[in-house]
Amino acid sequence: MNCDHKSDWNAYALGELTAPEQRDAEAHLSMCEACRDELATLRLTLDTLSTLREEEVPRRIAFVSDKVFEPRWWQALWSPAFAAACVLAAAILVHGFLQPAAVPQAQIDAAVTKAVAQVQDRLVDLDYKSQQLTQAYMTNTGLVRQ
Amino acid sequence: MIFREVEDRDLIARARKGDVEGYNLLVSRWEKRVFNYLLRLVRHREDALDVSQEVFLKAYQNLPKLEDPQRFAGWLFRIAHNEAFSLLRKHRPETELADEPRPPAAGPGLLPIELSLAVETALGRLTADQREAVLLKVYQGFKFDEMAEILGCPVSTVKSRLYTALDQLKTTLAPQALRGEI
Repeated sequence: MNCDHKSDWNAYALGELTAPEQRDAEAHLSMCEACRDELATLRLTLDTLSTLREEEVPRRIAFVSDKVFEPRWWQALWSPAFAAACVLAAAILVHGFLQPAAVPQAQIDAAVTKAVAQVQDRLVDLDYKSQQLTQAYMTNTGLVRQ
Repeated sequence: MIFREVEDRDLIARARKGDVEGYNLLVSRWEKRVFNYLLRLVRHREDALDVSQEVFLKAYQNLPKLEDPQRFAGWLFRIAHNEAFSLLRKHRPETELADEPRPPAAGPGLLPIELSLAVETALGRLTADQREAVLLKVYQGFKFDEMAEILGCPVSTVKSRLYTALDQLKTTLAPQALRGEI
């Protein structure tokens, strides 16, 4: 570039000159082909840079408590853990309904007394039979005097 | 832009009072800009997404420290800049690659996607500092003084980085444009 003019063409193209500086630069441009070429090249570069495509954010930036994306109350309930809890509760209820009714304590006591009496009778009977067998064995083997 | 600033100010006020939904709306308005800035800067999609997440979390935590809600954009990008360079320093010092693939070969006319790829490749050949200057000025539209605040350096440094980058991009991209390939 063969020009000694001091205008800052970068600042001019980027809109950073003050109004007086801009007027001075434009006055010079009207009579200097070298500076016009310089500015044209710079503007083409800036135009080319502006073709860079802006990218979308791949995923929304999550922040603190994002109410917009929080599930509704019924969506929160519809989770595997909640479903498992429902199944467990249903099983407990069904099990409770199928259980026989509670037996009165008096009836239990009578049954226990009856069972104890039966066991005692049985023990007495066994004791008697045991004595008879012992006696017979001793008689047969000559251990008892006739 | 004025309406946007007014609405941002309202959302910032709501978020400062603990209204999470207000902050989520603010995030939804800025996430695409922040993500694209970080994507072009760190040049790795998952990293850019992770850093974006971190930026908005830090912004929420530090929102009470934001003195002037009208300067939210610069403040947010200052956080993004810090997070991005923290990542670049820690994990990806090799980002400044000298052997990047060349832009698509010039033909009778580049398709928009090819041109976009050419620009992406040309940006990738810049240093991270230079690339960031281009991103903040050309794509995000910040003024030099706002860029100086975001980058934490003098305006002269901002201009130096940007002008060096534009000189390099002119040699890479403008010839294609001059040949009518855009």
